[in-house]
Amino acid sequence: MNAIETHELTRHFAHTEALAGLNLVVPEGAVFALLGANGAGKSTALKILMNLLSPSGGSATVLGVESRRLGPVERAQIGYVSENQRLPLWMTVRQLLDYCRPFYLTWDRTLEAKLLAQFDLPPERKLKHLSRGMLMKAALLSSLAYRPRLLVLDEPFSGLDPLTRDDFMQGVIEASDFGRWTVLIASHDIEEVERFSDHVGLLESGRLRFSETTESLLRRFRRVELRSAGSLTRPAPLPAQWLDWEQSGELVRYVDTAYDPVRSAWEAFPGASVAALPMTLREILLVLARQQRRDRKGVAA
Amino acid sequence: MLPFSIILKPGLPIAEQVIFAVKKSVVTGQMKPGQPFPSVRIVSQELRINPNTAHRIVAALVTEGVLVTTPAVGSVVAERILGDAGRRASLLARDLEQLAVEAKKLGLTLAELQEALADQWRRLSQR
Repeated sequence: MNAIETHELTRHFAHTEALAGLNLVVPEGAVFALLGANGAGKSTALKILMNLLSPSGGSATVLGVESRRLGPVERAQIGYVSENQRLPLWMTVRQLLDYCRPFYLTWDRTLEAKLLAQFDLPPERKLKHLSRGMLMKAALLSSLAYRPRLLVLDEPFSGLDPLTRDDFMQGVIEASDFGRWTVLIASHDIEEVERFSDHVGLLESGRLRFSETTESLLRRFRRVELRSAGSLTRPAPLPAQWLDWEQSGELVRYVDTAYDPVRSAWEAFPGASVAALPMTLREILLVLARQQRRDRKGVAA
Repeated sequence: MLPFSIILKPGLPIAEQVIFAVKKSVVTGQMKPGQPFPSVRIVSQELRINPNTAHRIVAALVTEGVLVTTPAVGSVVAERILGDAGRRASLLARDLEQLAVEAKKLGLTLAELQEALADQWRRLSQR
């Protein structure tokens, strides 16, 4: 079963199209990172999935239920933490937990106590007197303590210091229930996400550019370097899977988006010495973002 | 605390990096046969990696014979891997293949690769 599925999901705002036919599939048990630039539609997608916003068109299913029909039964199995979470700021941390607990049959008091200590949260302090990092941890705690089947995190790390981020990740792992636990995380913070996710999707202008396992993505992208005593001729047209071709004398560099160790550049350029270097998720996203910007200019021109 | 040393590098599949680190620590004797291996949860927490990935890592290590699982105890480092040299060498088969491929791509000859390997070997033996 898929924890989340959307079909041709669209959402217009007054002058913009935030989602332009999004087909997102998050398999049950996945830790799915939804990446994308500011304004790519990540938050809009998550809000529609959580039924905080209605779609203009298309449909979305969450835990097998149409998103617009999410009721108390489903909500009790979903944890949602967003960067702009609204919290009852007049409450203390303890009051917040006391308030949330009765809503959830699966609330785990042992886990609650463990996370409270691990997050180093002052139970008697009012939320309005907490730092931003503390506040996010309090929000996360109140969403993890019932061990949700689906955890949805919207930019959870933005503005958090490294120690708080680490606490945050550790808390999420602590509450995890292997195999029956799905996480959808929208984020800019690529390092955390690269380690933690097993699926990545890239949103561009309200659509998915790709959606695959983190491993297959890291495997298919390579920065290829060719060196040859003779001259290297740029193939025309350049294969569509090659990006960022650069050439200077005997040296050529490009990014192969579908690298194949068996039949790769050393077949296309016999005699050249070839090195294929793995790329980090950050480098991959930069290459794709640059290409998107070029394409847009190309369309405009 | 994890019984093997690892520093995760970005850009490379995490499972591969951890599997390699575990094998290396077994081969170098940092982890001994019969020594308990941490649970999926501990591996995932210590490295801040996804529990699914940690599960795959342990499963792969069991399949490759580096770890053996006993229902009550959990996983322990296998007795046999340090047995005969052939079996120990087979642990490195994938790494050797990768090394050969990379060396060919760089245009190295077998002799040059062997020399580089011998250098590396001597460097480590001095410690």
